[in-house]
Amino acid sequence: MDRDYYIFSNGRLKRKDNTIYFIDSQDNKNSIPVEQTNSLHIFGEVDLNTKLLNYLPKYGVILNFYNYYGYYSGTYYPRKKNVSGFTVVKQALHNFDYNKRLFLAKSFIDSAVHHILRNMRRHKEDIKELIEKIELERLNIERANRIDELMGIEGRIRKYYYQSFNWILRDDFTIERREKRPPKDPVNALISFGNSLMYTAVLSEIYKTQLDPTISYLHEPSTKRFSLSLDIAEIFKPLIVDSVIFYLINNRIITLENFDDQDGICFLNEQGRKKFIREYEKKMSTTIKHRKLKRKVSYKMFIRLECYKLIKHFIGDEVYKPLKAWW
Amino acid sequence: MGIDFDKLKVQGVKVNYFYICKRKLWLFSKGISMEQNSDRVLYGKLVHKNAYPRLKKREVLIDDILKLDIMDKTYVKEIKVSSKMTEADKMQLLYYLYYLKQLGIEKKGMINYVKERKLEEISLTAEYEKKIENTLVEINRILKMETPPALKKLPYCKKCAYYEFCYALEED
Amino acid sequence: MFVILTYDVGEKRVNKVRKHLKKYLIWTQNSVFEGEITDGKLKKCLSELNHILNREEDSLYVYEVKSPKFITKTIYGQEKNIDELFL
Repeated sequence: MDRDYYIFSNGRLKRKDNTIYFIDSQDNKNSIPVEQTNSLHIFGEVDLNTKLLNYLPKYGVILNFYNYYGYYSGTYYPRKKNVSGFTVVKQALHNFDYNKRLFLAKSFIDSAVHHILRNMRRHKEDIKELIEKIELERLNIERANRIDELMGIEGRIRKYYYQSFNWILRDDFTIERREKRPPKDPVNALISFGNSLMYTAVLSEIYKTQLDPTISYLHEPSTKRFSLSLDIAEIFKPLIVDSVIFYLINNRIITLENFDDQDGICFLNEQGRKKFIREYEKKMSTTIKHRKLKRKVSYKMFIRLECYKLIKHFIGDEVYKPLKAWW
Repeated sequence: MGIDFDKLKVQGVKVNYFYICKRKLWLFSKGISMEQNSDRVLYGKLVHKNAYPRLKKREVLIDDILKLDIMDKTYVKEIKVSSKMTEADKMQLLYYLYYLKQLGIEKKGMINYVKERKLEEISLTAEYEKKIENTLVEINRILKMETPPALKKLPYCKKCAYYEFCYALEED
Repeated sequence: MFVILTYDVGEKRVNKVRKHLKKYLIWTQNSVFEGEITDGKLKKCLSELNHILNREEDSLYVYEVKSPKFITKTIYGQEKNIDELFL
């Protein structure tokens, strides 16, 4: 029931009448039901004050900020209510012990590759060779005994994968190579935009659990990012973001008109962002019948289940097996 | 007194969980709580709030580990949603009575099942005292375990706040 | 589930009720709210509302639908702008 809201207008966010209000530049007042809010994504020029920021931890509402180009700039991660020192200590031990760390790093990549191949096999024509190359690389994952080796394997797999986009996507969308800083073409812009949404979604699921978002395994725990989010997002980027990209482009929902180029940066304009978010939100709320839970589980909930499985792995309850979409 | 009570005393809710699910007890004790995602827990809290609207004083906190709903001259009263988990609720209340007795306060217990509109009275007998003492020893044994008690399927798993946590498993 | 909630309350309480409901649901029209909500949250919302309402004079109707899929909403005339997703 917890919803995300995306703020594109300019205006002010405030605490009012014991809930959140967004007041736009024309003075229209919109109330946001605080009890039902998971996170807010702020794309517009928005003012907010400490009264609001002090109010959010009570309801665990996360704020995500995006810059002028629509790319992620940061998160306000309110103080957590449910912490477990015990769990965090165990989580850290799994990073400290290199073999344990390697096991998890491999698990994330293995699942990511499973989902990458799943996407590619749906578009089998013309990319058989690339699929075979990835399958060969995949065999090296098992043998790798260093994280940087793994990163190298993953990099090569992604390179083949992105090459295959040129066959999967409609003709007017092509990609030479992945360019992040900054994206210089529409396909890279889509990937960057989608990946940052994924990163914030994973972060907000981690927030609801006892995991510490800064202790990671595949990515080096860093000072700049909640790197556990990056780890878990590996699993879900091909499963969720890429399939949204293929759908939007191949059904001509997003066209070249939805992109802008400024200062050597290519980015989605407001129309494009809204189209993307609509489809992405639809995907996140799509449900699959879970084989063990015997319940329908949304794609978004699958992220939380991944967090739960990691906790169980850390506390020595159940060895972690990453999600591999079976549907 | 066959046990060192001061060493073994625990929060009342842990006695309750002990009789519901030992795995839940262990997880909860490590701060791995799921209550915040649970509709049922939310509902339980409401029932508490609304059961005795005229009562000003509610929730007596003792030693920072006992949270009594209501205490008057004769009774410690507990409010529960339904009588489905009777044994666990009863043992929790008996534990409160036992605890108070260690402090030199003797009371009777009363459980108010709101859904069924049923009151149940209970007293601390010697037999119950023994049972509470054994329970405390057992609880402490579980809390010392390195890893959680293994998942055991119980008829009320589906209603538990930990359901998604426990059954988030992959097929081989 | 999806709920539609309508109310008729004394003038003194209109603002209080509306302010309270805004924490949980979307304000669609004067004295009408709608939105997706879990059972527990709805109970919480209603029990808090109970302290505001005057049972002798006010009325509150709650319509519950298991899934929003089973609702079609057609709007005639002026739509109050409540885009669910974008502000």
